[in-house]
Amino acid sequence: MSPARCVLVFLALSALVLGGCSQQQADAFMRNVNESGGLKQTLTNLREPTQAEEIEIGDGVAETLLGARPLLDDPELQRYVNAVGMWVARQSERPDLPWHFGVNDSDHINAFAAPGGYIIVTKGMMKQLRNEAELAGVLGHEVAHVTQKHHLKALRKAALINLLSAGAAAATAESRHAELVQKLSGPTKELYARGLDKADEFEADRMGVVLSARAGYDPYGLPAVLTTLASADPKDNFLTLLTKTHPLPQARLDTLAPGLATVESANGPQNMTRFQQYTRKLQLTSR
Amino acid sequence: MNSQAWLVAALVLFLPAAYAAENGYTLKATELKDKPFLDAVTVVTLPEKTPVEITTRQGAWMQIRTKDKQQGWVRMLSVRLGNPDQKPRGGGNLLSAIGIGNRPRTSTTATVTTGVRGFSEEDLAKAAPNAAELEKMKGFAATAADAQQLAAQAKLDRRQIAYFDADGKPLKEKN
Repeated sequence: MSPARCVLVFLALSALVLGGCSQQQADAFMRNVNESGGLKQTLTNLREPTQAEEIEIGDGVAETLLGARPLLDDPELQRYVNAVGMWVARQSERPDLPWHFGVNDSDHINAFAAPGGYIIVTKGMMKQLRNEAELAGVLGHEVAHVTQKHHLKALRKAALINLLSAGAAAATAESRHAELVQKLSGPTKELYARGLDKADEFEADRMGVVLSARAGYDPYGLPAVLTTLASADPKDNFLTLLTKTHPLPQARLDTLAPGLATVESANGPQNMTRFQQYTRKLQLTSR
Repeated sequence: MNSQAWLVAALVLFLPAAYAAENGYTLKATELKDKPFLDAVTVVTLPEKTPVEITTRQGAWMQIRTKDKQQGWVRMLSVRLGNPDQKPRGGGNLLSAIGIGNRPRTSTTATVTTGVRGFSEEDLAKAAPNAAELEKMKGFAATAADAQQLAAQAKLDRRQIAYFDADGKPLKEKN
């Protein structure tokens, strides 16, 4: 080992130790070193992904989420949710991401965000909402996950994965992408079944309220959704994944409460009529 | 117009009314105000677990009616949906379990969990990536102009509002 390489190894291992990594993470790291053609390559891969790379990672995550349940067949509703979502996302610090929103055909009550601007709301969640301000609150929460890169950070931390080197040796762009999607599939399933850190969820609640308020809506949309969820039995079959992956709604309301005072005077419309117009078909479907 | 079409028309006509009524109860002793403001006159203090009918929501407030025909505004966070004497039920129709008004539902029978379209942990575990569905999702994308138009239609005005921290204090800059 050359002296320079020695120093590099020493620094990398120190960083891992000081960072308080687990044996598991250290193992994953060393496995990475072996698989990706050396330490230098691995450290390169641990750099912050560019926006283009983030979007490609998001593509892979979204493909797996849509693999679990496809989109709801209601083009008008899909376009409406995209327009509301885009309006909310335009108020964020990343207005120019290629934001995409979708309603999936699931009776479970949940919503998901993936890196790069992909957001999926379940049909079950849509049916719980009363108006557009509540939708804006839910979408604002998910938009905040994206702007804060909560999932991206969690995915990278989970396995110290060298996502960026996926398929580096592949012949075509397609096969490279396929390899990335394949590589992401396991960590994606693990992360979306486990959920983010509670602190990330609380932060997304705080930011979601502000984003919907900036967009001109009644800022109490998200709190209203949380009171709906707080009134339900957390053991309801259709809430199991949401309950498992998020702090309980009452805890989220309690945590959010001090900040709500800052948006209390920001009145705004709820747009109940327009929301009902676009969700009429949905409301008439049985669970 | 055949009978089925009449039924659909009737359902559509009754939708707004069906949305209006929700039942709830006070989580704790709560001041009933005559207007949706903190400094408005207090009509009465409702004891804990007073059943209320929610007629309107506005910001932090809910307009409610009690069985004794008392009317006014209470804080949204002081109200829980459903019936105070009934524990929420699990494993079934959430809306009926928490007693959200009379929202239109075609199926009011007992819960059938077979054939339910899920997004459960199991669905996630067995998911195979679906690239075609992602392409479809991209096809529904809205442009910034679409969003602007949607906002203008509803007179949604952009506002400058700072994020706040866990203590509720405004944050200077984010990112």
